[in-house]
Amino acid sequence: MIRPLIDIQKVSKHYGQIRALSRVSFAIHKGEFVCLVGPSGAGKTTIIRLLTCEEKPTFGRILVGNRDIHLLPKREIPLYRRKIGVVFQDYKLLPTKTVYENVAYALEVSGEPTKVIKERVPKILELVGLSGRANNYPDELSGGEKQRTSLARALVHKPHILIADEPTGNLDPATSWEIINLLFQINKKGTTVLLATHDREIVNALRKRVVALKGGKLIYDKKRGKYIV
Amino acid sequence: MISFWRVIKFGFQNFWRNPWLSLATVFTFALTLFIISVFFFLVLVTQTVIKAIEEKMDLVVYIKDEAKEAEILQLEEAIRNFPGVKSVKYISKEEALPVWQNSPYSEETKQIVTPERNPLPRSLQIKVKSPPEDLEKVTIFLANPQYQNIIRSSTRTSGLSYKKNKLIITRLGGITKFVKKIGLMLAIIFLAISILVIFNTVRLTIISRKDEIEIQRLVGAKNSFIQGPFLVEGVLYGFLATILSTLFIYLLLRYTSPLILQYLGEISFDLKQFFTSNLFRIFVVQFLIGVFVAGLCSLVSVRKYLKI
Repeated sequence: MIRPLIDIQKVSKHYGQIRALSRVSFAIHKGEFVCLVGPSGAGKTTIIRLLTCEEKPTFGRILVGNRDIHLLPKREIPLYRRKIGVVFQDYKLLPTKTVYENVAYALEVSGEPTKVIKERVPKILELVGLSGRANNYPDELSGGEKQRTSLARALVHKPHILIADEPTGNLDPATSWEIINLLFQINKKGTTVLLATHDREIVNALRKRVVALKGGKLIYDKKRGKYIV
Repeated sequence: MISFWRVIKFGFQNFWRNPWLSLATVFTFALTLFIISVFFFLVLVTQTVIKAIEEKMDLVVYIKDEAKEAEILQLEEAIRNFPGVKSVKYISKEEALPVWQNSPYSEETKQIVTPERNPLPRSLQIKVKSPPEDLEKVTIFLANPQYQNIIRSSTRTSGLSYKKNKLIITRLGGITKFVKKIGLMLAIIFLAISILVIFNTVRLTIISRKDEIEIQRLVGAKNSFIQGPFLVEGVLYGFLATILSTLFIYLLLRYTSPLILQYLGEISFDLKQFFTSNLFRIFVVQFLIGVFVAGLCSLVSVRKYLKI
């Protein structure tokens, strides 16, 4: 059996008295497209924060590429984060940098040569359809453009995994579909995608694997699943 | 190496792309540095003035014309051995003459004394280590009856009656002590306040970028790559603030120096001259304070947000 890319094993996360996650287990294999669904407070964001090493689990462990990411020494966390790409509901763009610079930043942090940056950034901007907006600041963009910038930044360093936390949460349906289509294309090219969302329509239309959480517990995990909760 | 240049580039970028915040920070810095500098100048001026006055404070003992050479030598020796006395200088009638000629009396009065007809007394000029106290002790010592047959009763300090000026001298001594003791304390307090102001300013600029720091971390930036530009920015603040503050000081001295000079008169301590000849040193000291404090503050403040 092939080892999964992400292996979440009996993970619990407690914030004081609040049980955000209780013994959640599931695995994601390379190349999969997984929708992580559930109402607000179900624990979707907690799982993502654990995957990005912003939080540590109270119990259990998470293996990524067969390494327990919460046993990584502090200085290796940035290196781990460069292997994953994350897209956020609130875009998290650097306000004093242009679209081009925001995307380039993800390469600059890992010390990529300027030549590589000049080559790769325009390509990825073209992929997300932002070539004409390269020199605009985030303030000057629409919600969809901001999210596409965020997506470009998450992809420019060719990550193994793309994690999207409610990427369509602030967007209108038409724009939402543009973003989802991009995720779909990226997945087709081989990148593993974990999409956290509570958008029923999108999940049902995608017909991809669905993992559902409720009250911090895993209640549903099915290939070609539907939005239940 | 490439990261190093990027850190520098980002530092400058942060500065230029938040022009108002940067400008406000630089001005706060500059004013703080300016206040510290003005305070140090005040301490310096007071100390120089006091030193100059102390230097001029001496006691002149006028010798009776009938006193014998041996007696004078004996008195001179006794004074020289008295604790607190720095020097004793014997001034003969001939040496007293040019001093008289230069004194601020009218020409007619000056004409009374000529080399042939010289009523000026011989004298001993006494300088002491710490003027007000030691001068008083020497005066008491000289009041000893055994010296009264060689000392004229009109013993004076610097041409003025010692007793009349006793109050002024004592007060001046008080100021000297105050400046020496309290000056240092005040300097430390001022410095502490300035550091707090700078610290707060830097902290505010960093708090306003809290989200940016979080984003940088999530994209996989190492802590040094996030801190670096803040450090560069801090150094830039320090540098520009130093230039501004030095300019302020120059302008202040340019317009007040003549007044101070006029007021202090013969003590003649030229502040502007002092400033110009020490311009480089003043600049460097301010720059080091500014850069060091700003750099340290930015490092401390960013650390807080790096522990997410």
